[in-house]
Amino acid sequence: MKDKRQRLLKWEFALVGFLIIELFLFGQLSPSFLNLNNLLYSMNDFVYIALAAIPVTFVIITGGIDVSIGAVMGLSSIVLGVLWMNGVNVWIALLITLLVAAVAGCLNGILVAWTNVQPLVVTLGGMFVFSGIALVLSGGSSVSGYEGISGFPNEFVGLANGQLVGVPNPIWILGLSILLFGFLLHFTRYGRNVFLVGINAKAARYSGINTRLIIMSTYMLAGFGGGLSGVILTSYFSSARSDLGSEAVLPIITAVVLGGTSIFGGKGSIMGTAIASIVIGMTQYGLQMVNMTSQQTNIVVGSMLIIAVLLRNTHWKKMSKSLSIMKK
Amino acid sequence: MMPFLIRVLKARELSIVLFLAGFFILVGSINKEFITGDTIALLIKSSAILLVMAIGQSFVLLTDNIDVSVGSTMGLSAAVTGVLLTDGYSLWLIVPAVLLTGVIVGLLNGLGIAYGKIPSIIMTLGMLGIIRGTMLLFTEGMWIEDIPNFYKELSGAALLGISLPVWIAIVLVVVCHLYITRTKSGCCFYAVGDNEEGAVSVGLPVKRVLVLSFIFSSVSASIAALLFVMNIGFVPNQTGSGMELQVIAAAVLGGVSLTGGIGSVIGAGLGAVFFTVISNSLVYLKIPAYYNDAISGFLLLAIVVGDSQFQTYIRKQSARIIRNGQKGENKGERQTTTIT
Repeated sequence: MKDKRQRLLKWEFALVGFLIIELFLFGQLSPSFLNLNNLLYSMNDFVYIALAAIPVTFVIITGGIDVSIGAVMGLSSIVLGVLWMNGVNVWIALLITLLVAAVAGCLNGILVAWTNVQPLVVTLGGMFVFSGIALVLSGGSSVSGYEGISGFPNEFVGLANGQLVGVPNPIWILGLSILLFGFLLHFTRYGRNVFLVGINAKAARYSGINTRLIIMSTYMLAGFGGGLSGVILTSYFSSARSDLGSEAVLPIITAVVLGGTSIFGGKGSIMGTAIASIVIGMTQYGLQMVNMTSQQTNIVVGSMLIIAVLLRNTHWKKMSKSLSIMKK
Repeated sequence: MMPFLIRVLKARELSIVLFLAGFFILVGSINKEFITGDTIALLIKSSAILLVMAIGQSFVLLTDNIDVSVGSTMGLSAAVTGVLLTDGYSLWLIVPAVLLTGVIVGLLNGLGIAYGKIPSIIMTLGMLGIIRGTMLLFTEGMWIEDIPNFYKELSGAALLGISLPVWIAIVLVVVCHLYITRTKSGCCFYAVGDNEEGAVSVGLPVKRVLVLSFIFSSVSASIAALLFVMNIGFVPNQTGSGMELQVIAAAVLGGVSLTGGIGSVIGAGLGAVFFTVISNSLVYLKIPAYYNDAISGFLLLAIVVGDSQFQTYIRKQSARIIRNGQKGENKGERQTTTIT
């Protein structure tokens, strides 16, 4: 156990090291990059990835996957907008939106846990359904797809654009989310059960854990995360659109996997996911400063994903062991 | 009689054909225009692109892998097609060049998965970003227009009343079906997907089979790109985005299992036709087009979940029949012995 923790810590340190090197390199390329205020406010651009990726870590630890998160983000954005347009108080609308997102995740979870259909297929179908419902909602209330619903009250726009003690609000929300989900995964019985389901679902079932409920709940958390991320993004752009998260799936999954979570389940950490999201966001931000469009930065994000898995697949321990044997 | 019935019911192609027929009757009874020959021909023509890609994807799915990079591969291939066409190269050069694009992408995917031991979902998800970005670097984010007319007119060219894209799809289905069911190397795809370690121990070239399956999948995306440019006549910079999900949904609808070893090329093709029929039928039902995704998604989930429950039921039933059958035989033996 101690050995495992050490290895995890090492991976997170490697990520932090990588982040520092990256900041240094981009700082050389454009001096304004290293301005602390710039850095803090640039994080607003990609906090939403971390907010969605952190709960998805739970799903991937159980050995599942959720590709419907982007669609949940769009759905929650449009639900919030439509509710507000119809005269619901914006904070009540926000609560209802988070509830809708959690229910959407819950539906995924029920299908994954209680049928034999693979998680990828279920969430793929879920993705069509959720983004479809989002389109129906925006089409039904005759919202133009490009402009979306705008004109939210200032307090709501301030949710993502304001600041507290000099630090932008989204970073506070990210910190809160790391604390909450990190505690849930690493310090509670529930979290240990999530790991056990990922390591060996049969053993978990035989030791009296309700594996189906655990699996279902992880998808619910992921849905909730997608909802939170969609709400923050809506507030950030102060406009509700149905296609808000359509490009988010690649960076979200990359963040989780780059953060050290095994795609086969059983391994992972919240801190890793959070740091990896920042690494990805900073990479995108830095590359955009040297005149790449956000879609072109996908080349780098994709390469990072592949290289990270390649590095983790290499058995460093075995290699160093065989090296030391050779020395003897 | 019962075992035969179960075997027929187990054949996924049949249930998808029945679904398709039922769907046609349902929509046709509401709007008669839906079941005219013209409409059906149009539907089949518009499903050709998805069909070609679903065939390619089914090779990957059969080996218990997945390829989510096909949408971006189609985009990149379409960009290559568009640029070469507007530069005035001859088709004899363009077609091989576009197919080569697919081969290179598939080779990279396959090498990373077979030799780098990267899970296929991760490898192809990463490649999705890389290829999409490369396409945008290549086209500088511009749309490619002014595709020469002779190429656009190819999509209208018809033989025996069937247009060229549909002919290409039909030929591919037949060739791939014969390859995968009638040749030794075709059967390898099933063997690898059914039991990879077993396939290694009996000496099959598992890694080569994996690489080959990803090459097939990417090349099918390149062929789809050739058809796309032919049909549409220009290349938007979002070409193929989201296509991978439709392709996988189509293959799954057609009974190809994501856990490998189960499914057929014909099933995947039928799934693609069904998927297109669903999304195109809404117009005939006078439902606004923005209901499209919600309804296809709901049907996909309903059919896949329903089928999984149904197959579990069938498996239980057939297991019972086999048990009862064995009991019956034993009883028979005992009786004969007592008589003698």
